Amino acid sequence: MRILSDREESEDVLQEVYLTIWRRADRFDAGRASVMTWISTIARNRAIDRLRARGPLAYADQIDEIEIEDGAPRAEALLEASQDSAALNHCLSELDERTAGVIRTAFYEGVTYEALAKRLDTPLGTVKSWIRRGLLKLKGCLER
Amino acid sequence: MSDIGPEMPEDDALAAEHALGVLNARERAAAELRMAREPDFAAKVEAWRERLAPLAEGVAPVAAPAGLWPRIVRSLPANDNQVGVLRRIKFWRGATMGSLGLAVASLAMVAVLATRPPQVITPVPAPMMNARLMTNGGQPLFLAAYDPERKAVLVASLVPPGTDPNHSHELWLIPADGKPRSLGLVEPGASKSMPISDEMAAMATEGASMAVTVEPAGGSLLEGPSGPVAAVGKLARI
Repeated sequence: MRILSDREESEDVLQEVYLTIWRRADRFDAGRASVMTWISTIARNRAIDRLRARGPLAYADQIDEIEIEDGAPRAEALLEASQDSAALNHCLSELDERTAGVIRTAFYEGVTYEALAKRLDTPLGTVKSWIRRGLLKLKGCLER
Repeated sequence: MSDIGPEMPEDDALAAEHALGVLNARERAAAELRMAREPDFAAKVEAWRERLAPLAEGVAPVAAPAGLWPRIVRSLPANDNQVGVLRRIKFWRGATMGSLGLAVASLAMVAVLATRPPQVITPVPAPMMNARLMTNGGQPLFLAAYDPERKAVLVASLVPPGTDPNHSHELWLIPADGKPRSLGLVEPGASKSMPISDEMAAMATEGASMAVTVEPAGGSLLEGPSGPVAAVGKLARI
């Protein structure tokens, strides 16, 4: 059981996120991203900082309890999704399944290359190469 | 690395990896340092963060978070205090949504990432409260919360750091009797947790006022405030 089991630490992260948001509120550029994605990015960064403090192999084992969408977004999520989200999902779907899966896992779980490689039982260089090439294709697709 | 398909320029690849979050602690720190030194690199990372940010929307439908939290709570260890956790979540959502609309998805992400193996947590009875301390003009200057579990007041100053170094900002609790009790000084831009006495804790009730006054450096020399009130607010249950 990992979700929210350490209340203190989650709270700490939330407090940091919250304060970062206040401090940077003047830097938010409404034209470029939604408030939500901006805040999510800050939250994610802070959480990864915390996670890294535990070493590169944190979460090298799969977390079974967390349900993460593997591909097609739910119907209601699709309705809510912004144009950006739709475009990104479309581009992810153009990647091969394995590459898209690794990128999603990296994003949602904030794990390192090392942890991904161990989890997939694949050499680090290979995982790195999948992700780099996947991201390059993603970029190309999003710019189309 | 690979002979299949084109490769990204090293800088762009590193920026993408940093934005995705796959770098280890050392690489991550190095990337942060580069961002601080090289605006071009920082811009590349920011561009990648923006490209990837919509993925966060896949964590949970923002308009329908109701199903997510029960799921998280259900997966808590049996010895945990679910009410307490929910209350806290509500606090952070409430405090931020009021002004900026912090989406549940980002909290879910933090919850997923920033957690550890279970620990025994004892139940909490009293409700948590918060207060938004505003100026006459309605601008929030301080945010305070009273946590009965820790017997502490959490306060965040939204005043830009370095403002008016010749004066101190003093936080006061003003209970039903109308007499202000000092909680301590709050530096501009700082956030801190101020432990309070049992006597004071009993006064931190719903509807009690909180205020910040501008005092001589080091705080008021009187028993009560001596300077002008900068901001006031009332404690409300979360």
